[in-house]
Amino acid sequence: MLRLSKVRTVMRREYTSRVRTKAFWISTLLVPVAIVAFTVLPSVVMKRQGGTFSIALLTSDGDLAGEIQAELARRVESAPGVGALNIRVEWIQPRDDADRQREELKQRVLHKELTGVLVLPQEVLTSGRVEYLSTNVTAFRLIGRLDNAVERVVLRARLRTAGISEERLADVTRGVKLDPVRLTSSGSEAREALGGSFAMSYVLTFLIYLTVMIYGFYVMRGVLEEKSSRIVEVIVANLSPTELMAGKIFGVGAVGLTQYLIWAVLAMNLAAPGLLGLGLVENGGDLLSPKLLVFFVLFFVFGYFLFATVYAAIGAAFNSEEEAQQMQTVISMFLAIPFVLMFVILNDPDAPISVILSLLPFFSPMLFFLRMTVAFPPTWQIILCFALMSMTLLAMVRVSAAIYRVGILMYGKKPTFKEIARWVRTS
Amino acid sequence: MSWQPPHLHLAHVSKRYDQVQAVHDLSLAVPRGAVYGLLGPNGAGKTTTIRMIMRITLPDSGTITLGGVPLDDRLRERIGYLPEERGLYRKMKVLDHLIFLGEIRGLPRDEARTRAAAWLDRLGLAEKAGRAVEELSKGMQQKVQFAGAVIHSPELVILDEPFTGLDPLATRQLKDEIAAMAARGVTVLLSTHVLPQAEELCQHLCLINRGRAILSGSLAEVRGRFNRHALRVVSSAGPAQLRAVPGVTEVHAREGEYVVTIANHVSVATVIRALAERVELHAVERHEATLEEIFLRAVEDDHAAAV
Repeated sequence: MLRLSKVRTVMRREYTSRVRTKAFWISTLLVPVAIVAFTVLPSVVMKRQGGTFSIALLTSDGDLAGEIQAELARRVESAPGVGALNIRVEWIQPRDDADRQREELKQRVLHKELTGVLVLPQEVLTSGRVEYLSTNVTAFRLIGRLDNAVERVVLRARLRTAGISEERLADVTRGVKLDPVRLTSSGSEAREALGGSFAMSYVLTFLIYLTVMIYGFYVMRGVLEEKSSRIVEVIVANLSPTELMAGKIFGVGAVGLTQYLIWAVLAMNLAAPGLLGLGLVENGGDLLSPKLLVFFVLFFVFGYFLFATVYAAIGAAFNSEEEAQQMQTVISMFLAIPFVLMFVILNDPDAPISVILSLLPFFSPMLFFLRMTVAFPPTWQIILCFALMSMTLLAMVRVSAAIYRVGILMYGKKPTFKEIARWVRTS
Repeated sequence: MSWQPPHLHLAHVSKRYDQVQAVHDLSLAVPRGAVYGLLGPNGAGKTTTIRMIMRITLPDSGTITLGGVPLDDRLRERIGYLPEERGLYRKMKVLDHLIFLGEIRGLPRDEARTRAAAWLDRLGLAEKAGRAVEELSKGMQQKVQFAGAVIHSPELVILDEPFTGLDPLATRQLKDEIAAMAARGVTVLLSTHVLPQAEELCQHLCLINRGRAILSGSLAEVRGRFNRHALRVVSSAGPAQLRAVPGVTEVHAREGEYVVTIANHVSVATVIRALAERVELHAVERHEATLEEIFLRAVEDDHAAAV
C-alpha cells in the first residue's frame, strides 16, 4: 500500500532539488529558442527573402518579351514583413549561332552578371515549355514568380490566337485565390494562413515528444543515481520501493508541468504576438484554444507516465548508465516512431490507418493529439484513446513496479531478460 | 531481577542465495538497552543477517520479532539503520538532506528541521549545514549519515561496520554517541570485524562464521569460557624450556613475557607448580585473552570442524 505522506516527501525532494538547479532554468529558456530555430525560423527566412534579380529573356518574339517584362514589373502584394522581389528583365534576341550565344549567356550567369536566363523557344505557344538556366534552381519564390508570369503571358497570347478580344482578356485571365478554411469541431470556420496550422501542430507535437523523452530520461538517471550511490539502502528501511518510484515519477513530472507553465506564460506574452506579427498565424486564440491546451497537458501527463514507468524500470534493472544505454536507445527509438508517422496523420487525419496508429497507447500522446490539432476526432475515439492508455498504464505500473522492487536492491552483474521476466512473474 | 524477553529476537533464521548458504539456522537474542556485537570475518553473513532484519531480503525460514511481535514494515520504522553501503544525494545540501531523511523516517517537517539542526550542532557540522554533501570530507559525510539513521529516535539502532573509513577523532565521537544512546536505553546492534572496537563497546556478542553462530553470550561469559587455559609468564627461561613443562601445549613470546597455553585436561595449579619447579619465574598471572585471540581460535576450530 502506498503511504501518501512518504510519496509526498520523495516528490518534494525530487521537485525542489531539480527546480533549484541552473540546468532546469537553462533548458527552460533554451527549448523555446531551439523550437523557434528549427521550425519557425527557416520558413520565416524563406518567406522574407527579397532582393534584386537580373534575368535575361531569350526570345525572338518582341511582344511576348514586352508582356513578360510588364508582368514581372507589376508589384505583387506581399504579406507584411516579406521582402519584395525586384526583377530586371533584359530582352535578348536569338542569334544564328545559337550554341555560341547560349554559351555566352551561361558564362554571364556563372560570372553573376545574370541571375538566370529564360529561354522561350519559337513554338512556345504550342509546346508550352520554357527553359530556365541558373546556378540556383531551388530559389522557390523567384522561380515561382517567373513561372507565374510566363504562364500568364503565354496564356494571354493563346487566348488572343483563339480570338478573344483584347478588352475581354483582363476579365478572362483574372486570378483565383484559394482560401483554406478549417472547420472547428463546433462547426465554426477558422480562416488561417496554410502554414500556421501546420507549424502549430508540429511545434506542439514536438514539445510532447521532447518533454516525455527528457523527463523519462531524468527518471531513469535519478533511479540509477540512487542505486549506484546506494542511497536506496539508506532509505529503503522507511520507504517501500514502490513509494520511492511513485514519488520520483510524480516529482519529476511536476517539474515538467512547471516547465510547461513557464513556456505557456512566455508563449502568451512573447511568442503568440510574434507569430501573429510574422503572418504565420492569423488567429492565435483559435489555434491555442483552451480545450486544446487541456488535452495537450493531458497527453503530456499520460505520455510521461507511460514512458517514465518504463524508464524507471530500466534504471532499476541495470547498474550503470552504460549498461542501461542499450535499452534506453530502444525506448527512444520507440518514442521517435510517432514522430516519423506525423506526416501520415497530417495528410489524412481521419483515414483508418491514422485512427489505428493514433489509438496505439504508446503513440497516442503524440499522434492522437496531432489529430486533434488538425481535425478534432469524434468523442468515442477520445474516450477509447484514454481508456486504452489508462489500461496500458495500469499494466505498465504493475510490471515496472515489480522490476523496480527487485532491481533497485540488486547489485552485481547485469541481469538477463530472462531474469527480469522472472522478477515480474514472481511478484 | 525478573527475566526480560529479548528486544530483538531471531529464531532459527536461514537464507540461501543460489549456491551459497549465507545464513544457517541463526538465533540471536538481543537484550533491551544492550550494545550487541555481531562479529565475524568478512563474508560470514553479518550483512545478510542485518538485511533480513531490515526486511530488505526476507529469510527462507525462521522468525524475527521486535519486542515479541513479528517484525513487519510498520514496526521496522522503529529501527534506525546505517547500512554498510553508505550513500547520500551528492548535490543536496546537508541540512536539507537530514530534514529529508527525518521526514522519510516519519517526523513532521518542522520537527525534522529542529532535530537535524541539533544533530549537526552536536556533531560539529553546524557551519556545513548549507553546503552540498559532495563538498564534505568522507568522515563528515558518514557523520551526517549516522545522524540520519538516528534522527527519528529509534528504539533499536543497527550499525553495519560504522567505523570503516573514519579517522581516530571521528571514531571516538561515534563511539561516544553509541555509548550515550545505550545509556538512554536504546538497543544497539553493531556489526564489525574490528574486535577491539567490539570489546570496548559491547556487553553482548555473537560471532558468526560461514553463516552460523559459533560463539555467543555476554562479554564476560565468552571470555570466561577461554581464559582459564592461558597464563602470562615472565621468566628468564627460553621458550623451549617452557614448552618442555608437562601440561603446556603452546608458548608465544611477546614483549619480554610469554603467553603459555595449557592443555584442556590439566588444571592451572598443576602447571604453575611444574613451572616453578623447572624454570626461574619472575611473575605468573592468568592471561585475559583478547577477543581477537578468542575469535581467531573459535574461527580456526570451526574451520577445523568443517574439514
